[in-house]
Amino acid sequence: MIVILFFLTLFIASIAAGALGSIVGIGGGLIVIPILTLFLGVDIHYAIGASIVSIIATSSGAAAAYVKDRITNLRIGMFLETATTTGAIIGAAIAAYLSATILEAIFGTILIISLVPLVRKIGEEYPTKQELKGLAKKLNLQGDYVERDGRKIEYNATNPGKGLAGMLVAGLISGLLGIGSGTFKVLSMDLAMKLPMKVSTTTSNFMIGVTAAASAGIYFARGDVNPLITAPVALGILIGASIGTHFLVRAKNTAVRKIFALVLAASAIELIIRALGF
Amino acid sequence: MNRILGIVLRVGVLLSGGVIAIGAALFVANHSLDDTSAYLQYNPGLIPHGNFPVSLASISSGLLSLNPFSIIALGFLVLLATPIVRVALSLFLFAAEKDRMFVYLTATVLAILLFSMLATPLIPLFNG
Repeated sequence: MIVILFFLTLFIASIAAGALGSIVGIGGGLIVIPILTLFLGVDIHYAIGASIVSIIATSSGAAAAYVKDRITNLRIGMFLETATTTGAIIGAAIAAYLSATILEAIFGTILIISLVPLVRKIGEEYPTKQELKGLAKKLNLQGDYVERDGRKIEYNATNPGKGLAGMLVAGLISGLLGIGSGTFKVLSMDLAMKLPMKVSTTTSNFMIGVTAAASAGIYFARGDVNPLITAPVALGILIGASIGTHFLVRAKNTAVRKIFALVLAASAIELIIRALGF
Repeated sequence: MNRILGIVLRVGVLLSGGVIAIGAALFVANHSLDDTSAYLQYNPGLIPHGNFPVSLASISSGLLSLNPFSIIALGFLVLLATPIVRVALSLFLFAAEKDRMFVYLTATVLAILLFSMLATPLIPLFNG
């Protein structure tokens, strides 16, 4: 394929990936990796390197677009990030000793199973307000954000221990499989910690950037971050993330959860297909 | 402080996007009809796996000769710095709020982040 066509294809796909990723709190690898490997015939290692670029670009691009509408909960994100980064390092260290195929099959299956509780609360706009107690109270894991119509939404986090355990698993998966595992982060915050959906996706967005930055140095030094791929991916994602963020701040939590459920199903299928060796 | 964090993020993102766009424009201007296969070779036996600059020395020497791939790599490094700066600035944010617990938590995240960025590439266990 000629350079200009390669650039344009990847740029346009990345705009879509950035928009979707910034809405549901994932890194965009879901779209970028198969476009590169299946459609453009690029080596999987370069595709994973591109996925790291796409995760950081989604995270920072969305954050830069939000300056006015603060939905991200920095406290909850930072608290959970201790577990995610630890998990990611352990995962990267033991990756060589485990079979990626089996891991992909297990993770894909977990995602499919988690569709059940997610679909059960598909129509829930705001979680019923939880009592702030225990560790969540000690760390003051609560917050509020203002909807576009001016309503102030207050919420308290619950089950911080479960959330932390979920994030350790999310980090392990990131380190082991080289994927962002934003889906698992959103699930932990939505199902275990009972945060409003938009708080879960934007906080996941913050976290995936930090986790990806932790491993990006290794991929870059190895030569897995190919500049010909990096340029259209980074530029497309930054533009897409800005578009997605503008949609997100106006969207209903139920709409975001519906889009997330579809993305979750697609990630699960992609992982299982990969595990089956196609 | 929250506003400073927002401004720093925005400047970082615009700067990195701008630098990458310059590199991409330079490359496309001269190579738009090249076949991509020459640039997408992956050599599993060699470190680095591709034939583009990955060390700070080769990137900076490439910048002097306006090598598009060095410029794109520089833009990527700026992008990579944004989440790290975000965590570092949050540390000051929590310190200003006198939230000691969160200063510790954020310092832990920053330490793990710097450890994995600086130390892990040197540990054979992490080099697959």
